[in-house]
Amino acid sequence: MEHELTWGLPVILYLFLAGLGAGAVTVSASILLRSGDYHGGSFFKLARYGALIGPIPVILGTCFIILELGRWDRALNLFKVINLSPMSIGSWLLVLFIFCSLIYAFVFLPSFLPRFAWLSRRLIPIMHVLSWVNVPLGIGVAVYTGILLGAMPSRPLWNSPILALLFLVSALSTGIAIIILAQTLFRRKKDPTVKAERRIIARREATLLRPGRRNYEIGYLLTGSDMLLIGSELIVIFLFVMFAHLTVGNLKYAMAIILPGGEMAAMFWVWVVLVGLLIPVLLEMFYIIPKVVYQREFRIHEGSEILISVAVLVGGFMLRYIIVVAGQITGPLGV
Amino acid sequence: MAQIMTENHSPETEADQKQLHQDSSNAAGPRPCQAMSLQETVSHDRDDQQPPARRGFLTSIIAGLMMAVAAIATSLGGKWTLANVNNGPNNNRRKQYGMVIDVRRCIGCHACSVACKSEFDVPIGENRSWVEYIEKGVYPNVSRSFLPRLCNHCSEPPCVYVCPTNATYKREEDGIVVVDQGLCIGCKYCIQACPYDARFLNPITGWADKCDFCTHRVAKGLEPSCVSTCVGAARIFGDLGDLDSEISKLVAKNRVTVLRREMGTFPNVYYIAADHTDELDARRPEVQTVRVITNRRHQKRR
Repeated sequence: MEHELTWGLPVILYLFLAGLGAGAVTVSASILLRSGDYHGGSFFKLARYGALIGPIPVILGTCFIILELGRWDRALNLFKVINLSPMSIGSWLLVLFIFCSLIYAFVFLPSFLPRFAWLSRRLIPIMHVLSWVNVPLGIGVAVYTGILLGAMPSRPLWNSPILALLFLVSALSTGIAIIILAQTLFRRKKDPTVKAERRIIARREATLLRPGRRNYEIGYLLTGSDMLLIGSELIVIFLFVMFAHLTVGNLKYAMAIILPGGEMAAMFWVWVVLVGLLIPVLLEMFYIIPKVVYQREFRIHEGSEILISVAVLVGGFMLRYIIVVAGQITGPLGV
Repeated sequence: MAQIMTENHSPETEADQKQLHQDSSNAAGPRPCQAMSLQETVSHDRDDQQPPARRGFLTSIIAGLMMAVAAIATSLGGKWTLANVNNGPNNNRRKQYGMVIDVRRCIGCHACSVACKSEFDVPIGENRSWVEYIEKGVYPNVSRSFLPRLCNHCSEPPCVYVCPTNATYKREEDGIVVVDQGLCIGCKYCIQACPYDARFLNPITGWADKCDFCTHRVAKGLEPSCVSTCVGAARIFGDLGDLDSEISKLVAKNRVTVLRREMGTFPNVYYIAADHTDELDARRPEVQTVRVITNRRHQKRR
């Protein structure tokens, strides 16, 4: 496997991290808009995780991609012009998104300190406007990473309209995963509300109460939407692979690399489909179905939450890795 | 608008009425009744005229807008259509430098690759111009053919369409695709987009590099260095837009082909008698041996 990659690990990391950050901010802003909870409720705290985490991977990824440039000292040349190149539109979009998501993150900071409650209240309108701005911007950044790859007929594997959709769904899914992970890891263990909940449950269903199990509405929201997103991702991957396989010519031969017998088949089916999609979606279904079908209370084990989110994150990275590498080691075959 | 229409109508209705009166005076029976009904219908028409007229006005506005959109769309679309659809002479010919490579005259000596490397001091491991070997068959029925390669200076260059800084562009004056080395940031997007693998990132300078038809030589009336060095005169350089140039005559008189036509790039490097045997042929079960040797760092074509 001695292939030379024009776009290496920094680009792969960038595609993953930009999608992750954009997804987290988009999810955070839509939670805020949907719940209308600007006053420190559980939805607000959830949105805060997304808002504070979101910009970090995007900025990190942007640093990677700048260092990948042949002449990183000239990176600002990107902003001398704007043309129809996906990279030109994408870099403008990225700068705008980083700017807006950073302000969005800073707006949440006063809510940590009770002393600045007055400031938090004052910032609510800004928060509201910024969430409206950040949803389309975040979706734009996530979609553009797919369009960036898809714009070239010379890379048949990438040259698919559904690749952008795949990257968008994966970005939102990884965004939710990082929020689940953050709120599981940083949750205060001695949260009085959790204790109270536990007491109530303990009286009714003592047998189901084991250490680490939690019962909360926001967990259901996150896990449920993640399950739906992973489900759609599975469908998109199926369409992506199937339609490429059913065509003739370059695209079919390019897709053969991730189909059984191909050079990267094992990696794709194990890391992306099994670890990144099937394991998390089955685990989530295990917790979601009792609530949906039998109207039981939703409760999920912390360990499962961590497992789900880490698996989704690994799957998201491996998806970018395999698509970027496989796209570059395949090409048009006819001359 | 509605008023004009009713005015136009009124003389007709009057004439109709006169005629009907005459008719009724001649013959008795249901005629007056008919006249009545006709008058009624006419007056009815007058009442109803306004809404249809307004509707017609709106429709005409919408139709006009649609026509304008269609006109804009076709004029924009016209930019992308290259084919000279009518069979008459093309009056829109522009200067477009191109190359014809007569593969029958190529002996695979790599003189063009070497001349190019020394002309531009191309770093080791990279090529602006190179010669591929295609080996076929089993002894004693074997052949080796050569395929000199370079940038195709496409009429629809994918590299230009993806460049985010406008550093690479197709020159208006002669159709050569060049890289503005002061603007290029080395993002390698054009290297990905080129279906001919004609571009590389210069490891010394850090910007994208490629064949530019030796613009510095062409500006002084010289041929590109690969052309002037070719021992078999396999490479012919010239203006494809000029009907009297040698290259135009060669393209007209020979069965020429271009590489990777299906990519829709409209290359301006034409081949005479090129062997288009490729990796797809190598995969066919009935084919004994096909080997493509690229003679460059990238062992496989892409």
